[in-house]
Amino acid sequence: MSEQHPPRRPYHTPLTGSWWLKHRYYRLYMLREATVLPLLFFCGCLIAGFYSLQQGETSWLNWLSFMAQPWVMALNALTLAASLFHAKTFFELFPRVMPLLPAPLMIAGQWLATLAVATLLLLLLGGLL
Amino acid sequence: MEKTVEKTLVIQRYNPEHDQTPSQQSYQVPFDNSTSVLDALLYIQQSLDPSLAFRWSCRMAICGSCSVMVNGIPKLGCKTFLREYSGDLLLEPLAHFATEKDLVSDMTLFLQHLQAVKPYLIRQEQSAATTPASKPQPHKQTPKQLAKYRKFSSCINCGLCYAACPQFGLNPEFLGPAALTLAQRYNLDSRDQGKAERMPQLNGKNGVWGCTFVGFCSDVCPKHLDPAAAVNQGKVASATDFVIGLFKP
Repeated sequence: MSEQHPPRRPYHTPLTGSWWLKHRYYRLYMLREATVLPLLFFCGCLIAGFYSLQQGETSWLNWLSFMAQPWVMALNALTLAASLFHAKTFFELFPRVMPLLPAPLMIAGQWLATLAVATLLLLLLGGLL
Repeated sequence: MEKTVEKTLVIQRYNPEHDQTPSQQSYQVPFDNSTSVLDALLYIQQSLDPSLAFRWSCRMAICGSCSVMVNGIPKLGCKTFLREYSGDLLLEPLAHFATEKDLVSDMTLFLQHLQAVKPYLIRQEQSAATTPASKPQPHKQTPKQLAKYRKFSSCINCGLCYAACPQFGLNPEFLGPAALTLAQRYNLDSRDQGKAERMPQLNGKNGVWGCTFVGFCSDVCPKHLDPAAAVNQGKVASATDFVIGLFKP
């Protein structure tokens, strides 16, 4: 004899737009993803710089003075900090995706490579090479 | 130790027969150093409120049945102890799944996603091997070949990683951490020949590329499988598969 069961009525908890505020892990993740925002500003600056260089000396000097403004310097300092934070998270995740060598070795290698490229660029752009 | 100290457990209740939305109910539970969340739930069911519904079976973190949210974090009830919490405990059913009743979640989607990646050994020459003329041969595997996938093979299907994954919460069609980890586990197995059958699932829009490496799944995994790593290794496999596909006629 089969017993009559009431129909199922599963409750679906709605996922609100603020889901990422609920946990520290999610907030850190969103912070990592948000590092792209100041980077967009820096990319804009860089493109404007190339354009003004092509336009001639006055335009180039105007761009230089724009870049020297305190708020632009502050925003670009934020970009640098954000990019370094993103690099840190990326370098730590990379050995988990491609486990070629022990993780600490791969993380150290990536930082060394970053340092090498940054130094080379500084020397090149600073006219020291 | 005598159980003299009490803790408050606030439990989300939902009875589909007469509730429109879930509500919360508090219980006072005596506990000592060895009282797990599951022990506390069993105490409530046996001594305070027999109507409380929850899943459990092995009590030793093997069956993966007693998954619940403890203070918003996905946990195995049997592996989480009341002594670890200074204040009250809020117990809810697994996030991102529908609730059948009280702490019982509807795991249908999870099981469908597991099935979709064909999580078993697939052999191409199976029919030839089973003909009477040739006896089935054991498939040997070296310790090195075993090490390739072993770390991804101890999944207990508890679903905690799905409750931790916001991408699954936002898109329930996303295959999710456990299924994609299992796919990677079988793709890496030297005895398996079914990679070509699994890749369309992994390459698809609900496959590995739906993961944004939030990484919380690895943090909550009670078996320390690192599903986030498995899913993202799946991205490397998917990209390789795509490039190889370009050169195939």
